[in-house]
Amino acid sequence: MTGAAKLLREYNIVFVTIGLCLVFFLISPRFVSIDNMSAISRQIVPIGLIALGQFFVVVSGNIDLSMGMGSVLFAIVLGVLFGATGGVALGIIAVIVCSLALGFFNGALVAKLKLPAFIVTLSTLFMAQGLSGLIIPRGQQIFLMGDFFRFVGAEKFLGVYWSFLFLAGLFALAYVVYNHTRWGAYVIAIGNSEENAKLAGINVDRVKIGIFMFSALCSGFAGIILSSRMGFVQPGLDGNGLLLDGIAAIIIGGTLILGGRGTIAGAFWGLLFIGVINNALNLLNVVDVWHQVFKGAVILAALGVNWWLWQSRQAEAQ
Amino acid sequence: MSTAQISTPPKLQLDGLMLRYAVLVGLIAAASIGFGIANENFYSLTNLGILLRSISVLFLVSMGMTFVMLTGGIDLSVGSNVAFSGGVGVVALTTTGSATAGFVAALLAGMAIGWVNGFFIGRLRLSAFMVTLATFALARGLALVIYGADSINVDNGAFLWLGGTSWGNLPVVIPFVAMVFIALSVVLYRTVFGREVYATGSNFNTAFVLGRRPERTLIWVYILTGFLAGLSAIITVGRVSSGQPWTGLYLEFDAITAVILGGTALAGGRGRLLGTILGVLLYGIIINGLVLTGTNPFLQSLIKGLILLGVVLLDTFTQKGRAT
Repeated sequence: MTGAAKLLREYNIVFVTIGLCLVFFLISPRFVSIDNMSAISRQIVPIGLIALGQFFVVVSGNIDLSMGMGSVLFAIVLGVLFGATGGVALGIIAVIVCSLALGFFNGALVAKLKLPAFIVTLSTLFMAQGLSGLIIPRGQQIFLMGDFFRFVGAEKFLGVYWSFLFLAGLFALAYVVYNHTRWGAYVIAIGNSEENAKLAGINVDRVKIGIFMFSALCSGFAGIILSSRMGFVQPGLDGNGLLLDGIAAIIIGGTLILGGRGTIAGAFWGLLFIGVINNALNLLNVVDVWHQVFKGAVILAALGVNWWLWQSRQAEAQ
Repeated sequence: MSTAQISTPPKLQLDGLMLRYAVLVGLIAAASIGFGIANENFYSLTNLGILLRSISVLFLVSMGMTFVMLTGGIDLSVGSNVAFSGGVGVVALTTTGSATAGFVAALLAGMAIGWVNGFFIGRLRLSAFMVTLATFALARGLALVIYGADSINVDNGAFLWLGGTSWGNLPVVIPFVAMVFIALSVVLYRTVFGREVYATGSNFNTAFVLGRRPERTLIWVYILTGFLAGLSAIITVGRVSSGQPWTGLYLEFDAITAVILGGTALAGGRGRLLGTILGVLLYGIIINGLVLTGTNPFLQSLIKGLILLGVVLLDTFTQKGRAT
């Protein structure tokens, strides 16, 4: 394989995303305006949080299907407590505590009882959906107004949304943790082979529970930021769409779903890709019903491409 | 030696399964009595007909899910597939005016989604939950596109016959489901394909080494599930005389719960269709009872989630108890 082809292969998502931006620019020059870029940066924050949490779960060879509905539940927890107390502090603390509890629950069942993650998180997905509609009166909206929500949802620092800076900071932190700490190495080791990780003396159960607690915490943050941006909460928000976007981002970013492989930078580019696609679909007035077709097709295509890349790397290594 | 091990249908564990079936029958009786007391209409023949008809789709989808789960897989796309194949069928019906074209189109559409699942899972060996999560979105999206997010009324008698007709108090669809059950039992217990299903679920690599082509088995299992989703779509359209884009939402979840309830092992290789039938009956009675008593839909979600987790936990603990 030549150098250029290799470069193209390893950084495919970068080229695809930039190429896509060019295409959209040619179709609609409005696309590459500062305003629109800034809008994209704000839209991708909740998806990015889901993607980041899910990244560690997937690299460890698991999945967390409860993240999307979890976000909806936590947003409503925040809303209900805000409605009751008129302040945000209690709500934020409650979201953090509840999300860590959910993550611990998921992680403990997966790690200690050896249950498949998709079954555990599928059932917690339904429980979260049920609870989200039970703690708020039926059909009611709670409006979120105040300095905190405006700050999280709409305020900028040097032209960049605070929420995006928060996401970028979290990605940077995750990059360091994933690449330069023991914990990151443990996650990869577990994804490659749980048996070997155990033999190497890693406390697999504890790392797994930690991974699920982190993913749930990310969905808690996503819930806070999403509800602040919208300015209200109500049951029946589309949690599963958020989950799918997050998963799409990391798969497009080259994370191997069999576990053990993936890069934070790839996940970030995958996130940009999803953000650009979502934005362009809206900007080009593509009818809403096509969005989901697009999402499903993109995930499938990315799965296929990843598989092919993986095969070609394996062949090269031999 | 290992050939004998994997090609024997699970007669060895039948004692454990028999115990489970006895418990399930007992629970079904208890649930019927409970709901019979809570709602006096529960025992009327009309209501039993309605109950069985409302869970007929769950029967079909769960039987397909049993095959998938016997191979150690999962299919999250069946609910979306019911909406998608129904949409294709209804559009084929309304454009050509021929019920046959509608039937064929619905079944082929269901099998097409099944093939996509099977190709990615069987041929590329990707995880089933991830692939079917993608087709879950894809098929639902396609259904929304086909319907233009609106329902389409159907008045073709032949197309509606299966889902909509009753002989007295007996909906036609019930003997039909029984026939499908018998046919699938023959396939699972009396054909080479059925053995391959168990072999693939017991140990993919062993099956592969023995030259059993488990990757091909996987593809056909997902196509079968898609076919049953197509059948379910025809029944769904017949029941309500219209095709609807949001039909079958979370059906996969109900099917997974019913199959696990029926004793099929999550890891694959162990379980029988009879268990799934009992699982669907019990689960169907509970869900139907919740609907009849007017339970808040969000509370229903919570209860469903708790049931799934409860059954899985119970299985884990009882199996651990047996092992020691």
